[in-house]
Amino acid sequence: MFMRHVAPLLATLACAPLSAHASPAVDQPAPSFIANTADGRSVNLDSLKGKTVLLEWTNHDCPFVRKHYESGNMQGLQKDAAAKGVVWMQVISSAPGKQGNVDGATALKLNSTRGATPAHVILDPEGKLGKLYGAQTTPHIFIIDARGLLAYKGGIDSLASADKADIAKAEPYVSEALSALAAGKKITASNTKPYGCSVKYE
Amino acid sequence: MCVPALLQRLVPLLLLFSLAATGLAADRAATEQVQVSLIAERNTISPGGEILIGLEQKIIPHWHTYWQNPGDSGLPTSINWQLPAGASAGPILWPLPGRHKQGALTNYGYAGRVMLLSAIKAPANAKPGSDFPVVAKASWLVCEEICIPQQAELSLTLKVGKPAGAAHPAILAARAAVPVDAPWPATVSHENGKVRLRIASPELAHGKLDDVWFYPLKWGKLVHGAPQSPSRDGDTLVLDMQPGEAPGLDGEPLEGVLAVTESSADGKLMRGFNLSARPLAASAAGATTNHTEIGLAAAFLLALAGGVILNLMPCVFPVLSIKALALIRHGVHADHGTRMHGLAYTAGIILSFLVLAALLLALRAGGAQIGWGFQFQTPGFVLAVAWLMFAIGLSLSGVYTLGNSVAGIGEALTEKPGYRGSFFAGVLAAIVATPCTAPFMGAAIAYALAQPAPHLIIVFTGLGLGLALPYLLLSNWPLLQRCLPRPGLWMERLKQVFAFPMYATALWLSWVLVQQAGADALLAAFGGMLVIAFAAWLFNGTRNASATQRRIATLIAVALIAAAGIVAGLQLQAAPTSAAASGHAADETWQAYSEDTLQALRAEGKPVFLNFTAAWCITCLANERVALSKDKIIAAFKEQGITYLKGDWTNQDAAITRKLAEFGRNGVPLYVFYPAGKDSKPVVLPQLLTPDIVLEHIRPSH
Repeated sequence: MFMRHVAPLLATLACAPLSAHASPAVDQPAPSFIANTADGRSVNLDSLKGKTVLLEWTNHDCPFVRKHYESGNMQGLQKDAAAKGVVWMQVISSAPGKQGNVDGATALKLNSTRGATPAHVILDPEGKLGKLYGAQTTPHIFIIDARGLLAYKGGIDSLASADKADIAKAEPYVSEALSALAAGKKITASNTKPYGCSVKYE
Repeated sequence: MCVPALLQRLVPLLLLFSLAATGLAADRAATEQVQVSLIAERNTISPGGEILIGLEQKIIPHWHTYWQNPGDSGLPTSINWQLPAGASAGPILWPLPGRHKQGALTNYGYAGRVMLLSAIKAPANAKPGSDFPVVAKASWLVCEEICIPQQAELSLTLKVGKPAGAAHPAILAARAAVPVDAPWPATVSHENGKVRLRIASPELAHGKLDDVWFYPLKWGKLVHGAPQSPSRDGDTLVLDMQPGEAPGLDGEPLEGVLAVTESSADGKLMRGFNLSARPLAASAAGATTNHTEIGLAAAFLLALAGGVILNLMPCVFPVLSIKALALIRHGVHADHGTRMHGLAYTAGIILSFLVLAALLLALRAGGAQIGWGFQFQTPGFVLAVAWLMFAIGLSLSGVYTLGNSVAGIGEALTEKPGYRGSFFAGVLAAIVATPCTAPFMGAAIAYALAQPAPHLIIVFTGLGLGLALPYLLLSNWPLLQRCLPRPGLWMERLKQVFAFPMYATALWLSWVLVQQAGADALLAAFGGMLVIAFAAWLFNGTRNASATQRRIATLIAVALIAAAGIVAGLQLQAAPTSAAASGHAADETWQAYSEDTLQALRAEGKPVFLNFTAAWCITCLANERVALSKDKIIAAFKEQGITYLKGDWTNQDAAITRKLAEFGRNGVPLYVFYPAGKDSKPVVLPQLLTPDIVLEHIRPSH
């Protein structure tokens, strides 16, 4: 009980002086965390060793997030990931009173109306997890491989725009990364430019 | 209904009416956050010609749009052009962005008002007189805390034909805000976890910069919001920056825009420079940064070694030798007195070097351009040292002696009661050492100049200690003294021989003076030497005369030298003292400014272009490079018979200061055009120039 609550706190404190820029590096161990989820439970990254984990920073009102949900692109990726045994976690780091900040029930309802199927929705209103990973934009994607190493971080695709028509023209970084991991191959573009709205930290 | 309220209702109506009437209804649009409009440089475009069209965004407070690299989040504005067949549009010419911090994130973009220019080219076969419709589909992201993507479709109809009328002033002003290609070579290297950008620019390294910031063109090269620490390495500006997610270690160039903000007396001036920094190979990087990385201890040792070697320099060696000869004359004693003389001499040297260090620090604090030998940029100092060298030479040659001894000035100083003589011999040694640079010194001084004050003082102390060391050892170490040769007549001969390096130094300094202050300065220098020689002869010739006669002769000698000093000082003041003015005097495209020249030209009704500049003004140099020295400007000046006068304010010339005040200015740059005609009104140009802005202002119809 003590460790469960104190460990993530310590991890956050240890990283605090490094600021949000100290994003973990690809091929290095991904920082451990225990986080609260929208259904009132918590999720521990360490307990998911052996599985691929994907973190998706989101803010349902951000135009870039809407681009990928209204087009169905994000839902498609989530289904594809689930089929590959990937644990998909949405992370909401919007601070109270800021765009995208929602309570657990609203977060779950949003997903059911959009047809989104992440395995977990993490509520991070204090921005601890966001700053631990150096999340800058919504969307911003991090993929952690079965060994617990960071395998990918960056944008959802290669074309920075809020236009749905650009999705088909873009290089689908996340889908490519998930396929490479499933096939045991090296991810070609493992550190890409994230694009979108800024994460609404407090 | 009160009048303002009525107006408020009427204005949009009127606006709508007027727009419809002129057929420009679609050249503007507005969202809640941004008003956009499309503005053409001119209403006509010539076949095969090019004009600028600007998309202006007026953004409400606290919101912003983005630069081509938006930073940590955001999206650059984009414009999709629809043009007549055969026409083409260039990329957006991005003006300098600003930095917007939001929590831990940093964005590069625009607040308030921004004009995004694009060059539109008409096909060569465009029919004169025909319409040239331009449609711009603009999309942008505007953010405060939250972000909103917005679009607008704007259109303009131009005519194909000869460009007529004045260019739109807003377009001209916007053109001046677009970064220009940097005229300086730059390199990039990755060292100690930093991205190090080195820009070889004396102007930047020594300029009075308020702020300097490098905006990378691409994501991932740098952490967008991390501090960029500027430092100076000789004539190079060094920026140490934090590498981003994809810093590109594999030797690709670093591209970006350098934003330089300098303070002029009339406010802040900001200028952008496009920079492509060449990657340095790892080995080359080591070589070029070696001397900045040497560390304090190494710099001190190098300075010490340099100081010791200074003793062998032609102008210093005689002084040291005189001190050594004095020791020999007095016999070999390791007594207290000898040791104290050594210490006094050392104190004299070190104190002089500390004064030099303090001067350097004061000048550096004032932002002046400094380096070893900076004092030799002052013609008065050069002249004084030239005369001093000549006077020492005369003394060594035996023309005159000070004190009762038949020996020279150096020895006379040592024989003064107390240790004052030795102390001043040290000061003398330090002064005569300043024109020289010994091996090792360069690296130590380059290091010291880029360091905080305590380090600089330590390095200069090392230099002084090195210079004093040989004599200090000699006076403290009886064993060494025993190695000295016996006194004899050879000492007198040696001293006379040593006069010649002193004369040679005086000769060289006179040549330096001519470079700085013109041929007339040579007359001042040699005239002064004539007076010194005469005074020396007068002084020495009356040695055995009565006390009164001796006093009168001394008085005359001193008065003569003082008079020579005053005359020479006045002469130097009148002479042009700036390297910038004399260095390019051969350039026939411009003449040096003087109020008389200006008035004479005005009296004849001739057009005149005035440029007040200074060697330390970066904006001035940039304007000359990108506009005033361009062929088409020189040709335009020639064609219209405009006389181009340049005033150099490097040394804060009083006449120019008055002229600046006439236009309500306290500093440079200032550009003024006097159109043809005796009573024409002068036109003041903006402080940031482009060739078009200059051409626009000097048009004959103006």
